[in-house]
Amino acid sequence: MTLTTERIHHDVAAALGEDPAEIPVDESLVDYGLDSVRIMTLLERWRREHGVQADFADLAEAPAVEAWARLLGAAS
Amino acid sequence: MTATATHRHASPDTEHALRLPLTAAQSGMWYAQALDPASPALNTAECLRIDGPLDADLFAEALRRVTEEAEALRVRIEDTPQGPRQHLLPAVELPLSVHDLRGDGAERRAEAWMREDLARARDLSRELPFTHALFRVADERWLWYQCIHHLVMDGYGYSLLVRRTAEVYSALAEGADPAPRTFGRLAELVAQDAAYRSSEEFAADREHWATALADRPEAPRLAGRDALASRTFGRRTAYLPPATTERLRTLAEELRATWPDVLVAAQALYTARVTGRSDVVLGLPLMGRMGSAALRIPGMVMNVLPLRLTVRPSDTLASLVRQVVLGIRDVRRHQRYRYEDIRRDLGLLGEGRALVGPLVNVMPFDYGAAFAGVPARAMNLSTGPVDDLTVNIYDRADGRGLRIDHDGNPALYPHEALAAHQSRFLRLLEQLAGADPEQPLGAYAVASPAEREFVLDECNRTARELPCTTLAGPFESRARETPGATALREGDTALSYEELNARANRLARLLQDEGAKPGALVAVSLPRSTDLVVSLLAVAKSGAAYLPLDPEYPPERLAYMLDDAAPVCAVADRAGRLPAHGRPQLLLDEPGTRERLAAYPAVNPPRALTPAHPAYVLYTSGSTGRPKGVVVSHGAIDNRLRWMQDTYRLRPDDRVLQKTPSSFDVSVWEFFWPLREGATLVVAEPGSHRDPARLAATVAEHAVTTCHFVPSMLQVFLAEADASRCASLRRVFCSGEALPRETAHTFARALPEVALHNLYGPTEAAVDVTHHTCVPEETGPVPIGAPVWNTRLYVLDPALQPCPPGVTGELYLAGAQLADGYLHRPELTATRFVADPFGPPGARMYRTGDLARWTVRGEVEYLGRTDNQVKLRGQRLELGEVEAALAALDGVDGACALVREDRPGEQLLVGYTTGTAEPAASRAALARRLPEHMVPSTVVALDAFPLTPNGKLDRGALPAPVFSGSGRRAPEGPREEALTALFAEVLEVENVGPDDAFFDLGGTSLLAARLVGRVRERLGAELTIGSLFEAPTPAGLAVRTADDSAASGDALGVLLPLRASGSRTPLFAIHPAGGISWCYAGLASRLGPDQPVYGLQAPGLLDTSPLPSSLDEQAAAYVEHLKSVQPHGPYQLLGWSVGGVLAHTVATLLQEEGEEVGLLALLDAFPAEQWRERPAPEEGDALTAVLRMAGFERTSERDHADVLATLRRAGSPLAGLSDHTLARIVDIVPHHARRMREHQHRRYTGDLVFFTAAAPRPEDWLTPLAWQPHVDGTVENHELPCTHPQLLRDEHVGAIADVLAAHLEVPQR
Repeated sequence: MTLTTERIHHDVAAALGEDPAEIPVDESLVDYGLDSVRIMTLLERWRREHGVQADFADLAEAPAVEAWARLLGAAS
Repeated sequence: MTATATHRHASPDTEHALRLPLTAAQSGMWYAQALDPASPALNTAECLRIDGPLDADLFAEALRRVTEEAEALRVRIEDTPQGPRQHLLPAVELPLSVHDLRGDGAERRAEAWMREDLARARDLSRELPFTHALFRVADERWLWYQCIHHLVMDGYGYSLLVRRTAEVYSALAEGADPAPRTFGRLAELVAQDAAYRSSEEFAADREHWATALADRPEAPRLAGRDALASRTFGRRTAYLPPATTERLRTLAEELRATWPDVLVAAQALYTARVTGRSDVVLGLPLMGRMGSAALRIPGMVMNVLPLRLTVRPSDTLASLVRQVVLGIRDVRRHQRYRYEDIRRDLGLLGEGRALVGPLVNVMPFDYGAAFAGVPARAMNLSTGPVDDLTVNIYDRADGRGLRIDHDGNPALYPHEALAAHQSRFLRLLEQLAGADPEQPLGAYAVASPAEREFVLDECNRTARELPCTTLAGPFESRARETPGATALREGDTALSYEELNARANRLARLLQDEGAKPGALVAVSLPRSTDLVVSLLAVAKSGAAYLPLDPEYPPERLAYMLDDAAPVCAVADRAGRLPAHGRPQLLLDEPGTRERLAAYPAVNPPRALTPAHPAYVLYTSGSTGRPKGVVVSHGAIDNRLRWMQDTYRLRPDDRVLQKTPSSFDVSVWEFFWPLREGATLVVAEPGSHRDPARLAATVAEHAVTTCHFVPSMLQVFLAEADASRCASLRRVFCSGEALPRETAHTFARALPEVALHNLYGPTEAAVDVTHHTCVPEETGPVPIGAPVWNTRLYVLDPALQPCPPGVTGELYLAGAQLADGYLHRPELTATRFVADPFGPPGARMYRTGDLARWTVRGEVEYLGRTDNQVKLRGQRLELGEVEAALAALDGVDGACALVREDRPGEQLLVGYTTGTAEPAASRAALARRLPEHMVPSTVVALDAFPLTPNGKLDRGALPAPVFSGSGRRAPEGPREEALTALFAEVLEVENVGPDDAFFDLGGTSLLAARLVGRVRERLGAELTIGSLFEAPTPAGLAVRTADDSAASGDALGVLLPLRASGSRTPLFAIHPAGGISWCYAGLASRLGPDQPVYGLQAPGLLDTSPLPSSLDEQAAAYVEHLKSVQPHGPYQLLGWSVGGVLAHTVATLLQEEGEEVGLLALLDAFPAEQWRERPAPEEGDALTAVLRMAGFERTSERDHADVLATLRRAGSPLAGLSDHTLARIVDIVPHHARRMREHQHRRYTGDLVFFTAAAPRPEDWLTPLAWQPHVDGTVENHELPCTHPQLLRDEHVGAIADVLAAHLEVPQR
């Protein structure tokens, strides 16, 4: 199953304990409380469910929904 | 067997030898290391366990390649004029050693090797910042140890290095080329750091932290105190069971948080409960790389940031976790701003000025590294320095649940303390994991069931059946049994039990006719006297409760108390004691009263009194400005007195000193205990309780066996009075304020045969509820001790849960001694006397407002107050009451009061006002309204009060009062001049004039004791504290001391105590040629407060007695004197000049008597034969000697007068010598010179410590080697670059003190 931008947005918001509407797709998620544990949790899930190949540093380096969608080749 | 493999290695980019500045993160570590270069605390280390086959050569090759890729490791730190720089080395030798340890205890031996390596400090200017070691501990088990200095690497950096090493190794093992390197460069980190520090973001972050922490609370400390950084840390490792870990993860998800958020919340809860704070700041280490290229650079980037949280017992875990989530989110937005910078911005640089409490360091990474398919498991060995407490939490996929390491500064957390904190924290996590997150936090317990049982039950087993008696009943029994025994002494008069009882009975009957009866109140206003004792007994006998009204209190205060308490009548010694009031007043000096009394029978009056009736009412300071009366029942005080007798066993031959004013509760046992037990009550003169010398005289005169001191007064007493006069004492009680251990030690030295008991209790619990007997050998805070009979102590946290031993909470009291409450104040009573949840139904407990903790031995330690109530020299006062009194004055808009300690040990009550009132007038007005102890030492007028950013009064920013003398007139005469200078010196106040009063310039009783000491030392004049109260100005004292010539001998006697206190073996220092030993005062002060130092001075400075006929005779006399201080060896002796020859002689005499001499130290003293052929000096040289005593070479001074002028100009105390003494010195100097030339040395057994004044001198033949024939040990010579007279001046005295300190005997015990 392919990962969509919407899925990423939804999962990120859930990890941050927020509604997706509260999380802009083009801003640094660090300002919304993204930390390494949350990235690892997301990454593990996406590896398991969507066969994602990226590693922790790839995600942590550009912590924004849009950037991740590009990185992970998400379908929009 | 051990094989060491080192490998030479060349980097491809040899050509560029880069020199980079340190990043801010690195600089922090650099400074930390520079503070203590020999400390290994900044080493971090990790051990990976590789369970399977490993090719050691391939592993070394992989490490070599990774080292080549990781620039941060290959640096040498250079200290340049521009600051530290890191020099990137093109090639390094790989610091790897390989050890084959297969065999017994392999892992243990490997671990020992690692510990040893980790304990070695690294000098980064000379060696590489990292070390590797590979241990083969079994055929298929390897340990990979790496130790890296924190300046170049952080925890995340380790994970990059390990994974890359595994990747390269695995590729090599397959014979493949490793994937290209992905590490970024060190220069990128440096550039990123520089860019941030010049950005607008940096400025905004600084602003954020400054605002967020402006009104921060004090850093919470689980240990209750701070300590300097240690070089090591203690560690306890535990695992949270997998099931609990899982439940915490689930709980976190429910709360829309992560498990680290829950752990941070748990730590905040634990910290808040253990420290009793609701506002806590934790330290949060963050990797600091999110969103940055640093994610791919192994290096030092991490930061620690403060996380401030509010934790109240009524909050829930859910809300606390939410607070953590939002708090951390906020922290992350400003996470690049360095911790060191925050501390600097807040003015917290330097030791002991902490910002955060425990650090919660969550490391969620499992490396997941595998070496050619063989998995490796990482185990941290050190995460760097531990200032206080760090909780490291690792989530490693090894199926064991979370690993939790508690790392503690060993100076604060002994092993057991660390273990206790850890097991309680784990238990708290278990509770949190298993409970509804919506229940209040107060429901979670910190103490274990065993700890709870210990502090609630075991420590409080005090139940005791007692007969049903009242305060005066047992006295009446005594009067019946021993009518002829002496009940009371005052001055020269004495009363027998029969006489005292008769007088009290007549007065009691009269009082009954005035309305006194059980439940009623009778006021008593008399100064300390026999009549006061009779009156108090009479009130108790009448069945009424007594209300003492201290005649020294201002009339306004007395009027308030009379009005508030509404006694049925009042007893006073004479008219005018009490302000007019509408009640009957009995004046004991009136003939009419005497006639009425004589008409009553002398037998015990009848009364229907029960233990439940009130026995006395004492007023204490009230926080809202209204003093409150505490009502104590007969049952309560009877319990207290019965316990006291059972514990301390007063006998008929005991004499108890009554010196505490009757308005303080200590006086209750002073009055009644001896009279109930057939002993004698000794009434001290009024006013003498402040004067150590008069107290000592009273104790000696009446052979007092038992007395009480407030600790600060005990301190003054021990310093000022001659304790040896108090040989009759059997026991001394202390209470009223914390008893410093140092005072207890001083007491044990001064009065080794006398027991010292520390008692504690508020007025609200019948005087005292805890007791502890001091043990001289013990150290640390003196406990207030264990509960008395029928009394329970509870130390409770903010959730009213019992605190485990060692944890600070608020002290609550329960049991038989609780007061009934506050007179006519039911609401106030209800707030302080609350239901006791641990006692029988209906039991009450009293909330003391005192902070305390249990020790593991079942005693309680007092740690301060929870509120504004303060104790000033033993007397309790509410700052609120002082503030209310100030605010009520005309012209005062706002008022505030506090007790300051701007100089250590010097507590001052200071008032602050705004408005138009003149400060001196405000102080004077307060003195008319408040008792003396509540009147501020000074009042400071302010334009406005300093406020915190959120608008609260910032007490910490209130200015220290500046005392300044009037300087209206210049002092006249040398004595007035000297006294004025001493006032200025002791008070540290400028511009003191001869008419300025000591107590107006911030003088306290403790400073008064110091002044008296200095006057004695410098002017040789005897002065008591009392005379300072009576004549508090330099001019007044000058008159008092002017013709006090006999006493000026103190500083000129043969034995001069330069410091009589201290637990170490004394040092005896023998005078140089002039015969005076004042020159050793500076040395004494540098040897520290625990080292007693006595000078020995030539006999005859005071009188005209003949001088000894030989040095042997003189030395023999000194032996007697030093034995009076220290009866047996080992003795420690020092002498300068001729004093050295005398010291050597004294040492040999002692050894001939079979005594041991532990130290013989000579200051530039040479044996007789070195002088024999040289002419002895004559009188002119005596003046030279006087100057030399003061440390000067004689230049142009021709005579006596010139010499004195020089001494005066230099402020030398010798300028104060009398003409007689100067004339004597003029005799003594040539006497010494002649006797020395005749002297025959004996042989000393032992080593000699010698100090040579090594500057060139005319007497170039002098050499310490000349001592060798007179010493059968070695001569250890220390050369100091100075002349003979300079030896005890400037830096040289420090150098001498350092050498001596290394030789001086450490404590006798």
